[in-house]
This record gives sequence, structure tokens and C-alpha cells, in this order.
Amino acid sequence: MAALSPDDAVTAPRGGRAPVIEVNHVSRWFGSVVAVSDVTFDILPGITGLLGPNGAGKTTLLRMITGLAKVSDGTVTVLGEPVRDNPPLYRRIGVMSEHETVYGFMKGRNFVKMMGQLRGVSDLDAAVDKAIRLVDLVDAAHRPMGTYSRGMRQRMRLAATLVHDPEILILDEPLNGADPRQRVHFQSLLRKLAAEGRTIVLSSHILEEVEQIADTVLLIVNGKLAASGGYRAIRAALDKRPYHVMVVSDSPRALAAAVVQLDSVDAVNIDPDGTIVVLSRKVRELQVELPRLAQAAGISLRRVEPLDDSLESVFGYLVER
Amino acid sequence: MGSVFLLTLRQTGGRLRLVIMGVLASLPVFFAIMAVRSAQAPSVEEFEGVALGGMLAGSILPLVVLAVAIVVFGNELEDRTLANLTLSPLPRWKIVLPKWFAAVVASGSFMVLSAGITSHVGFNSDWRATLAVTASTAAGVLLYASLFVWLGLRSSKAIGLGLAYIVVWEGFFAGFVSSVRFLSIRHYAIALMHGLDARRFATEPHVGMGATLAVSAVVVVGFLILSIRQLRRMDIP
Repeated sequence: MAALSPDDAVTAPRGGRAPVIEVNHVSRWFGSVVAVSDVTFDILPGITGLLGPNGAGKTTLLRMITGLAKVSDGTVTVLGEPVRDNPPLYRRIGVMSEHETVYGFMKGRNFVKMMGQLRGVSDLDAAVDKAIRLVDLVDAAHRPMGTYSRGMRQRMRLAATLVHDPEILILDEPLNGADPRQRVHFQSLLRKLAAEGRTIVLSSHILEEVEQIADTVLLIVNGKLAASGGYRAIRAALDKRPYHVMVVSDSPRALAAAVVQLDSVDAVNIDPDGTIVVLSRKVRELQVELPRLAQAAGISLRRVEPLDDSLESVFGYLVER
Repeated sequence: MGSVFLLTLRQTGGRLRLVIMGVLASLPVFFAIMAVRSAQAPSVEEFEGVALGGMLAGSILPLVVLAVAIVVFGNELEDRTLANLTLSPLPRWKIVLPKWFAAVVASGSFMVLSAGITSHVGFNSDWRATLAVTASTAAGVLLYASLFVWLGLRSSKAIGLGLAYIVVWEGFFAGFVSSVRFLSIRHYAIALMHGLDARRFATEPHVGMGATLAVSAVVVVGFLILSIRQLRRMDIP
């Protein structure tokens, strides 16, 4: 797990506040496949981002937190109570799953209303109107959801999640299908809800998405908690990682000899086919220095490409540390 | 519970399903009309054996109920909308009961109508016989629905298993092995019919009326409890 300062660690209650969600040594396996392995963390009020590549175990973890799936080992408590087989707790929790299937025949407003009825909302019509206004879908509320775009479906599902004014919001990949304007609206809505004292947990596989919204981040890789804490701490851990940059030129040996002298370069490897792989922790400096160096040496650069810019490789690095 | 009931009723009302149920339910009616119009009208025993015991209770009734009861949970498990209901503060029985009742209403409306018309035509407007056949069919709907709702929740291969049950158990074993009749929904329905109109259906010894009612209640309640238990314990997709 990435080393974090105690101030950043989400496993420690912040400001003496009691954790709202406690995940304690939780594992889940399907036959011989381990989806989540011995994960422990606490979640406090505010926005917590569950970050990880696709298939990392985020959804399984969220499903166990919401009680939809049972744990193979460990315990999950929400507001001090076991969440599994505890329906009354859902008066205080709003969950939006990753699956975007809706009742296509049902009008958006009727869907939100039904969800409100199921959750025992007292002033139902007012609550439905408020939830639909929050997601900015008033104009489309009287259309069947089968006619909605993907982003609209997501927003109406969010309205249904908010209709009973829950203390805790658990949102699995909520920004799927949202356009940039909707993303901005959604982010400001979540910040507003969090400012009212709610606990919001959202998952994403997009680093920047979580960076913009979440106060704290739980990084899940291969079913394990790879890092946890404030986003800056995670970012700092990522910055310590050497990047691999592939360089193809007309004079690989001469270029390798020159590049290895740069301060921004940690090491250089030459493949048998003449491709150079540069390892650097200061990629931005390398981006500036490399073309200058090649020009000064009269070497022609044909291709410069980062080899491991994907989230999977970034997360993989954190797990291996 | 009303929301769950209405939602489920809407989900079971696909056009193709309604057409299939309508066609199946009308078959015994056509048979009855043809039977009474033929030169050699069948005896009560023959009509009961073929139209009521065989066609209605033995195949069409379970098939129609299967077509509806399987999907009340099966469809929501498949399209992953069941979480909308299970993530609500409703006790699980308040999800299972309205879904079961929706299956009963959706399939029962076809089957009760079919049984009523079939027996009314077949028994020359004998209201007592009509009532006996209709009531026993309604009881069959309750019984089969409780079994198939549980099956739809329990297995992703519920349709295949349900068909196998209808053909192998109800059709084959219960038809030929007399001791199996005590474990056959079809024979509970037939026994109820006999009990309600012993005057017309008194030719063949069946399970007694009291035992039938008791066992039927146990079957319905038992499978509903199993469904509630299953919903509480299973992972919801």
C-alpha cells in the first residue's frame, strides 16, 4: 500500500468523527477467483472516490457495502449496523448501481415516484419534483425512459437515488454516459450534497474524474486496497514512479549515449531492433530536453511514445511497491 | 406493496406472452365446444379425463402459470433491475408476495376464464360443476405460481426446469404412479374439483378434500417462505 501521512489516511477518523461505513477485512471470492481480498477501510462524511481499473473489484466491493452481495469473509457495517439483510437501513442509503437498465415503459417521473413510494417518502410529489429538478430533467420527466439517452437515464436514476433524501449516497460509475456539461453539473451537485453533511462514495476508473470530486481516494487494484488517503498523497505516490518512454531514431546508440547523461533520465535500454526505452521520473523535463538533444546531435527522432500511460500500469506500479 | 404489484403486472404483460397465454387458454374451450357438438358427445368421465384433468389441469394450466410466474423475478434478475426493489426498506415478504400475487392475477385471469367457459359448455350450464372446475383451477394457479415464482428466483434455468417438472413429474409420474399423486399439484386441483362437486365428479378415488386443502396450503406457504428466504440470502445482480 502506498505510504501516506496519518493526516491523509482515511482509515483514521478525521476530526474525531465516527466512521459512517466500516469495511473490516472483507474478502469475496467466486469459486477459485478472488474478487476482493482482505480489504479494510473506514469512510467518513464527505466524498470518497473508489478508484481502480476495470475489473479491479470496485463494483464487488460496492455491492458488499450496499448489501447486494454477501461477503465471503470479514464484516461491513453502515451507520453502525450490518448492512446485509437489513432493509430498514435503506431509508438512509441511496444506491445507484452501475447497470443502466431502466424500466423502458415507465415515464421518468413515475420511476422516481415509485422509488419514493418504496422508500416511504411522506411528501412524495414535492420530493419527486425536487429530485428531478436537482438532476435538471424537468422537461423530460413525462417521457418514457426507453426514449432517454444514456446520460439522461443516468440522471433520472440519480434522481430516484436522491428522492428519499438519503444520508449516504453510493454511486457506482455514475458519470458513465454523461457529456461534459452534465459532468460539471453532476460534480457541483455532489459537492453541494456533501457540504450538507452527507457521505458520498463513488467509483470510477478515471483518475481525473475522482481528482475533481473526491476528498479522499481509495485505490483498488486486483481486489486489494493499493492506496488510500487524500488525492495529493496518491498523486505524490504516482509521481515517484519511473515512466517508460519508447524512442525510435535513425541513430539509436548515439542517442542512448547522449540521453543517459540527462538529469531527467534514470536509465536507458536498447532493444535488439534499435528501439530505445527511456526510464524517467521527470517526464515533462524529458519532453523538453529530448528534442533539443536530438537536434544538437543531428539525430532524427522518428517516434516518441509513452509505453505505460494507462491506469492499469499506474495502479500496477502502486501494487508492486 | 401496491407499487411492486403494479410494476410486476406491467412486466408480465408482454404482447407475445399475452398472445401465447390467450391461445393456450382457449384450447380447452374449443375442445369443449367441439365435444358437445359432436354426434357422440363424451361422457362426464371422458370429458373430465381429457379436457379437465389432462388438457386443463395437466398441461395448459401449469404452462400458462409457468410463462408468467418465472418472469416475475427472472426478468428483473436478467435485466438487473431487481436491485431497485431490494435496495428499498421493504421487508422481503413485501416484495415476494405482491410479485406472486401479480403472477396469480396475470395467469389466473386467463385460466379461470378458460376453466369457467370450458366447464360451462362441457357440462351444459351446470353451475355447480362450473364453480367446482373454476375454483379448483384458481387453486391450481395459486399452487403452481408459488412453485414457479420460487423456481424463477432460484435458478437461471427455471424455464427448462419448469417444463421438465410439468412433463416428467406432473405428466408422467403423477399420471401413472398413484402414490405420486399425493405430491402432484395437478392432482390437488383435481381432488378439489371432486370435493366441490362430488355429485358430478365422484367416479374416481382421489386425495381427500381435507387433505388436499391442508397440503395445498402447506405448498403455497412453503414455497413463498422459500422465495422470501432465497431473496434474503442471494446476491442481487
